[in-house]
Amino acid sequence: MSLLHLSFYSAFTLSCLGLAFHRTHLVSALLCLESMMLSMYIALSTWPIETQTPSTTLAPVFMLAFSACEAGTGLAMLVASTRTHGSDHLHNLNLLQC
Amino acid sequence: METTLLLNTSMLLTLFIILTPILLLLLPTPLLPSPTTITHTIKTAFLISLIPTSLFMYSGSESIISHWEWKFITNFKIPLSFKIDQYSMMFFPIALFVTWSTLQFTSWYMASEPYTTKFFFFLLMFLIAMLTLTIANNLFLLFIGWEGVGIMSFLLIGWWQGRAEANTAALQAILYNRIGDIGLILSMAYLASAMNTWEIQQAATPSQIPTLPLLGLILAATGKSAQFGLHPWLPAAMEGPTPVSALLHSSTMVVAGIFLLIRTHPLLSTNQTALTLCLCLGALSTLFAATCALTQNDIKKIIAFSTSSQLGLMMVTIGLNLPQLAFLHISTHAFFKAMLFLCSGSIIHALNGEQDIRKMGGLQKMLPTTTTCLTIGNLALMGTPFLAGFYSKDPIIENLNTSYLNAWALLLTLLATSFTAAYSLRMTLLVQTGSPRTSTITPMNENTPTLINPITRLALGSITAGLLITSYITPTKTPPLTMPTLTKTAAIIVTILGIILALELSTITHTLTKPKQTPYLNFSSMLGYFNPLTHRLSSLTLLNSGQKIASHLIDLSWYKKMGPEGLASLQLAAVKTSTPLHTGLLKTYLGTFALSTLIILLSTH
Repeated sequence: MSLLHLSFYSAFTLSCLGLAFHRTHLVSALLCLESMMLSMYIALSTWPIETQTPSTTLAPVFMLAFSACEAGTGLAMLVASTRTHGSDHLHNLNLLQC
Repeated sequence: METTLLLNTSMLLTLFIILTPILLLLLPTPLLPSPTTITHTIKTAFLISLIPTSLFMYSGSESIISHWEWKFITNFKIPLSFKIDQYSMMFFPIALFVTWSTLQFTSWYMASEPYTTKFFFFLLMFLIAMLTLTIANNLFLLFIGWEGVGIMSFLLIGWWQGRAEANTAALQAILYNRIGDIGLILSMAYLASAMNTWEIQQAATPSQIPTLPLLGLILAATGKSAQFGLHPWLPAAMEGPTPVSALLHSSTMVVAGIFLLIRTHPLLSTNQTALTLCLCLGALSTLFAATCALTQNDIKKIIAFSTSSQLGLMMVTIGLNLPQLAFLHISTHAFFKAMLFLCSGSIIHALNGEQDIRKMGGLQKMLPTTTTCLTIGNLALMGTPFLAGFYSKDPIIENLNTSYLNAWALLLTLLATSFTAAYSLRMTLLVQTGSPRTSTITPMNENTPTLINPITRLALGSITAGLLITSYITPTKTPPLTMPTLTKTAAIIVTILGIILALELSTITHTLTKPKQTPYLNFSSMLGYFNPLTHRLSSLTLLNSGQKIASHLIDLSWYKKMGPEGLASLQLAAVKTSTPLHTGLLKTYLGTFALSTLIILLSTH
């Protein structure tokens, strides 16, 4: 595959693995989510360039809008869990489970 | 030519003389006139205002003085012009005569008052506003005078500011007058937009005016002249000092509404709906006020309800399309009503502040002049033949009986006439005759000329005014000349019936019959339950619906329950159910997810 395709495929895969295997903080998972969003944005932007259909330039903008909502939700949950548990360490989340 | 010049000059001179005390205050070194100076000013103005009136009586000349045009927008003229016609020329001497007598009386009545000069200035400013209203040629200047009398009424009713009831009464007067002002502004807006003028002569076209602006004018008259529906402020206005009641709420301010309808009668005369509305409203007002006056015990409230009843009668006359007769009733009514108030003021001061007629009695021997004039005033009010009230009241009843109109209005008016006789006689008997029910030591003194002269002057006016005015002013519409004997004497007969009934009832009070509480007595003494019903119900409804719409519906419902907070509470229900199921082993889940994806990718490759 071309260099461009390799770059965003590998960025996406690396971010996915980073999301799955994050260590301590929840915020690092959210950062990986953001980089997944970024690589998808670049991927969607190459589509109208390669197929020469300007009408599909709307797709990346839509994706940006919805990912902004999703990032906001994620940050809200981060803040909520920090307020109740004192930090965003993930091993705190099942502390009081019976 | 010379007649018009003399007419205009003397009218402007009258107005300038009345303005002089206020102009003296605006000098670089202000001169403060004393109350006697102001009284003499009004007396001079009265004598000078007799010149235009006698010119009118001699030659029938009228004129319009145009001063200045307010060039506000290019195609709408707001001129400041004075109309000197029969109504303003007759009203000026009468208003100035009543004001002169009232001011002379005030210097005796308010002698122990700290701010007498301020009171006199308030009365003077009221007079200026009222005369502006009278002499206005267009609705703009009339509106200025209208608002002016409203404001002065507020300041004068609440003169004794420390009294809570006085403040409430003043506020009530302003509120009810404001509701009427809405009607006036509506008519002014209609005239400005449809007829492009605010002058009545230009607006009176032969074609029909739509009913809505006329309803606005009638609403304005209802508010200012205390017709039924917007009437509670007039009895409440008796909280003010007696000179205020004598000047404002008997002769001048309350007739402003009727005067508006007289000025705009060319607009009203073609619309039968408006005329019938005036007729029925006036009949209802006159009967309602007369019913309420029957069981009142405060002497000033009886006279206030009597004023309200006579205003209803004037409205009935407007409804019969007889503006000149209504104006005649305004003129004659001013004399005897002001005199009744001044007599009641004399009685109140003589009994050291007692206003309850159940605690008066036998005053005929103790206050001879006052009680004589009280009797003259009551007889004139009842329409005794050839006193002042007869010349206006009897033609009204005759016209009612010989016109093609609503029979219910006729019946109500005749009933109100008999009630008038009944409550006037009741007041006379309870105040003057019998044995005294007053306290033992009273400061009874009517020897001061400042008290006796105004009252006797007004008594002279009450006797002769009707004859003088009708002899010199030619009527514009022919009065009904032939009618059956019963119809001709209808007014006298119902009055005599009322007197007989009142005499019978008064003999009952001397025998020891126990007074019963019947529904009719309750209705009359509670003023028809109007005040509690409207004051509490209407404000409660308004505030309630305001709270429901603004606060409950919009704020709480749409912005909270249906919006974000409702969504959050819905989610919360589901979340609380599924929380025990979560284990929180996030890293294990994500690791399993990555591992299974890797296995799938490798197996399909």
